[in-house]
Amino acid sequence: MKRKLTTLKEAHEFVDKFEGSLGKGKGKKFYAYKVMMQKKWMKFQRDFENFRTACIPWEMKIKEIESHFGSSVASYFIFLRWMYGINMVLFGLTFGLVMVPEALMGKPYGSMPRKTVPKSEEATAMDFSILWDFGVSNCLSLYVVAICYFVHFMHFVLLDHCESMSTHILSWVTADPGQPGMCIFFVFKGFSQYSVLFYGYYNNQRAIGWLKFRMPLSYFMTGVGTIAYSFMVVIRTMANNANEEGGGDDTSFTFSWKMFTSWDYLIGNPETADNKFASITTSFKESIVEEQENRKEENIHLTRFLRVLANFLVLCCLGGSGYLIYFVVRRSQKFAQEGLDDYGWWERNEVNMVMSLLGMFCPMLFDVISALENYHPRIALQWQLGRIFALFLGNLYTFIIALLDEINLKLEEEAIVRINMTIWEASLYNGTVAENATAPPLEVDPAVVPRGPCWETMVGQEFVRLTVSDTVTTYITLLVGDFLRAVFVRFLNYCWCWDLEYGFPSYAEFDISGNVLGLIFNQGMIWMGAFYAPCLPAINVIRLHVSMYLQCWAVMCCNVPHARVFKASGSNNFYIAMLLVILFLSTLPAVYTIVSIPPSFDCGPFSGKHRMFDVIQETLDNDFPAWFGKVFGYASNPGLILSFILLMV
Amino acid sequence: MVSPAIVLAFIPLIMTLIIRYRHHFLLFYRAVLVRMVLDCTTGISREERAFQYLLTHSLPGDPDSILDTFDHWSSRVEYMSNIGPKKGKVLDRLITDNAPLIVLELGTHCGYSAVRIARGLPLGARLYSVEMDERNAAIAEKVIRLAGFDDDTVELIVSPSEEVIPQLRERFGIDCLDFVFMDHWKRCYLRDLQLLEGSGLLGKGSIILADNIIFPGAPHFLRYVKSSGLYQHRIHQATLEYFRGIRDGMAELTFIGTK
Repeated sequence: MKRKLTTLKEAHEFVDKFEGSLGKGKGKKFYAYKVMMQKKWMKFQRDFENFRTACIPWEMKIKEIESHFGSSVASYFIFLRWMYGINMVLFGLTFGLVMVPEALMGKPYGSMPRKTVPKSEEATAMDFSILWDFGVSNCLSLYVVAICYFVHFMHFVLLDHCESMSTHILSWVTADPGQPGMCIFFVFKGFSQYSVLFYGYYNNQRAIGWLKFRMPLSYFMTGVGTIAYSFMVVIRTMANNANEEGGGDDTSFTFSWKMFTSWDYLIGNPETADNKFASITTSFKESIVEEQENRKEENIHLTRFLRVLANFLVLCCLGGSGYLIYFVVRRSQKFAQEGLDDYGWWERNEVNMVMSLLGMFCPMLFDVISALENYHPRIALQWQLGRIFALFLGNLYTFIIALLDEINLKLEEEAIVRINMTIWEASLYNGTVAENATAPPLEVDPAVVPRGPCWETMVGQEFVRLTVSDTVTTYITLLVGDFLRAVFVRFLNYCWCWDLEYGFPSYAEFDISGNVLGLIFNQGMIWMGAFYAPCLPAINVIRLHVSMYLQCWAVMCCNVPHARVFKASGSNNFYIAMLLVILFLSTLPAVYTIVSIPPSFDCGPFSGKHRMFDVIQETLDNDFPAWFGKVFGYASNPGLILSFILLMV
Repeated sequence: MVSPAIVLAFIPLIMTLIIRYRHHFLLFYRAVLVRMVLDCTTGISREERAFQYLLTHSLPGDPDSILDTFDHWSSRVEYMSNIGPKKGKVLDRLITDNAPLIVLELGTHCGYSAVRIARGLPLGARLYSVEMDERNAAIAEKVIRLAGFDDDTVELIVSPSEEVIPQLRERFGIDCLDFVFMDHWKRCYLRDLQLLEGSGLLGKGSIILADNIIFPGAPHFLRYVKSSGLYQHRIHQATLEYFRGIRDGMAELTFIGTK
């Protein structure tokens, strides 16, 4: 009886639910309409998903690479695309909130001392030698010029400062009749130093334009915001990836794992499939040999000694490279003090060249030394990555410490300039009015005012130069190491005594870990320098864009699939973890300089303040009602903040 | 002009190259430099030096002893590119497994591989060894006779291989070759293979063993073999004779012929 009752109840529910479609019922039309709308909605959702997938940039390119080279090489390109997304957001923040407002609503070029090329540098700002100081960065300069033109153009259109702008451009273009085309090319000294690209241009006026846009506050908050956004994105991606951990390789059931999980189903190219087949066979053979060796007695003392020796050699190499960089930066300081005109291009760019060369050559040496250690290949790869990481980190921090020395030098110089300025102002006043009351503001040509050294712009310039030289080195290595090598092997194989394809040069394989580390460290440099040079995210966006196309082309054209095709299993999260560490380590120096060094007195949005973060205090005092300030004061109790951060993490 | 710091930055690269290609540097030293020095000081050629060493250190009539002495000389005293002990084992195994009756060897050089093959031949089999250079052929003749193989077993032909192969049928009455061993100039592998095909000396199941196809390498030969469809091929991975660090390989081809 109970069963009958339950069945009856179920039947009632069924009829109620599908009353409309079961025939004559009052809900039929409505039901049919509802079903039709549901179908349309599902179709729309499917189309939208298709559209969204089609909008993802470079998807076809990456899929093609994946089918040729396996998923591990493709994971590098997916990583590159993700970084491009982050950099676009950073670029949007800095461009929209910092560069555009200042260019549109701030005082124009030439109206203030800090915005003008000083008379002493005017001759050299157009000088060919300075223009070609960074001759290889022409393309980047061109794009930067395009940005500047655009910004100046907007300025021109919106604020109607026709005369100054056009005379400005004309004088600039015709400055050197001998090299008309070259004048268009900027460099990161000379003219572009006095533009929105660098810190020094910004005025410390509290609110600019008709929007009463709080420029200094915006600058500071953008800087903090970029870092915060980067942290959030990286941590969120890590959390997402942690959920997707696939079946890892344990030390037990190795043969079962190999048998059932070795094949990579994303391969679409016959040659790669052959390679994969061969590599699986080889890996089986290697496992068998490994099992046999494990049963054997091994000479553990010799192995340990060799490993200690290898680590010692690596430490020597790291120490040597660190010392070399330190030595070179000290030399460049010496050059800077004696004036840069005596020295050629080599001396001026010594630091960048040495850093790039060391970054290129030392990993190869580590690779060769690790042959002594006789580790399992996976562990050897982790050691290799760790060593490269230590190398880059050491180089970067040596560079920063040297930079801090330079900052201190500039601060001392600034004190002297301050004294000189008071003397100079006094001399001006003597000429006109002899009152010792509040003197009226003088009409002086801004280019003539003596200028203090601007350490923030100098820091920004250094980072920009480092980034550009790193980029150029990467591209040259790519062209010479991959492309020229492939051309050589392809066309000279017919008339060479040994087989170039199997033997010595052979086609290159795509170096995944080297490229990923380069990308991560490049991003670290951007994070470090973005506060002092708002143009850095823009440069990085261009760089990543060009890199994507160049590397996709190079991989398809010049590389062969790896002999051992392996899956990109857990290494993805490893790279993101490294990115997080780099993010943390690269914000440290910037935070240190913000907190401990006083800003320059005559350039940048924080000039005149005691410390850069005073702008927040000022904003709280002036712009918000009093009670807000009190609440914020209580909330910013360090204990509360620390516990909050710990909770979030 | 160029600062010393930049030059110092190249040191890791130089060290990497030296360490990674140390075997190649060693090979260059032994095969080229030592040979030039000894040629100048002693005035006789490398093969004659080898023969004199053989005379003084080996047992006449005993092929094993001759081969061992050769190996000892090539690895300790001076370098000579014989087939070597490891790759020689592959050769021995192939000969004993297949027991060919008529064997052709292109490139005798000093007779090391001729002795090696003759050692494993069955009764009644015959080895024809082709050598282009006359002085080398004279020394090889002496070595082979020292090992105790007479004219029935090993016949030495002194002439370039591209002239001999078309004449093999008329001059020597060879109908079909069971085994061919190629160890002469790598550039000639492909040409001689095509000549052999053309002269109809290869039958179904004939085995061709080509040495040194990875280092120095015979790329055209390999490409032809893989694409022609006439052969089943297998590449034996090994190391260059007397050098453990340099990879090399031998190609074993089985002629299956067209349908």
